[in-house]
Amino acid sequence: MADQEIELTVLEALDHLLDRGVVIAGEAVISIGDVDLLYLGLNVVLANVDALKRTSRK
Amino acid sequence: MKSVILGIHLREEDVEPVTKAMRVADLFASTVGVDDDRPLADRDLLLEIAGVRAKLLDRATFVAVRYGLSVRDESELATKCGDRTAKWRELLIAHREEVEMTLKAPPAAPTARPDRRDFESGSAYLRALYAATYAVDVDAKFRARIEETLVPRATQHRWMRDNTSVELAMLVRRSDLDAIRDAGEELRRDFTSVPFLLSGPWPLEVFASDDHQQ
Repeated sequence: MADQEIELTVLEALDHLLDRGVVIAGEAVISIGDVDLLYLGLNVVLANVDALKRTSRK
Repeated sequence: MKSVILGIHLREEDVEPVTKAMRVADLFASTVGVDDDRPLADRDLLLEIAGVRAKLLDRATFVAVRYGLSVRDESELATKCGDRTAKWRELLIAHREEVEMTLKAPPAAPTARPDRRDFESGSAYLRALYAATYAVDVDAKFRARIEETLVPRATQHRWMRDNTSVELAMLVRRSDLDAIRDAGEELRRDFTSVPFLLSGPWPLEVFASDDHQQ
């Protein structure tokens, strides 16, 4: 697996960890601002890595 | 020491020895112990937990808990989610041999997000936001092919969208994973102009959420 694909897989796993699944007692993520900020940053990186991967294939 | 909750599982052996199990009613939560002074947003911790989550899914399907929940002990966990265990148990039994797969693609024509300042009432703004979001879709031929090749392999599916992406979440049998990946590769060969990401398997995430209607 190419490095970019491994990186994309890791980022996708983090995306699911931070943005999916049942929310219990309304306290997940929203209660800890640093995780929320980290997730915003992750989305930017994820989009960039995906774009990079596409570009490299052309 | 606090325990970060990763997921809810049907059996104790679905969790241990991969990580520590904590009982909640007649189910088991997978947990990772974290020092009190370590922030939950620690990068290495996140990577470690993502890895544990993948190993757990190799053992058995579980209900994913969104990252961020931590408890001190079983009694705190029971207080926070004890009333939902009956529903989770039903899901875990019904979908034990299934996992989720997702396909993300950019919209064919992205729509602009409405500007709050252009609306006099909150309800008008929300209606415009809803309309803009649901106007988003992927390329029609690409979607038709997905409906023809991937969707029939799913036991349940759900299209989700926002202004920047369209996502198909599928609940699939573990035994169909290779066929779905093959269909994804075929899709990639036939639609080289559509960048998309087919990923998984994932635990029960979309199909265990409270807003999902069976």
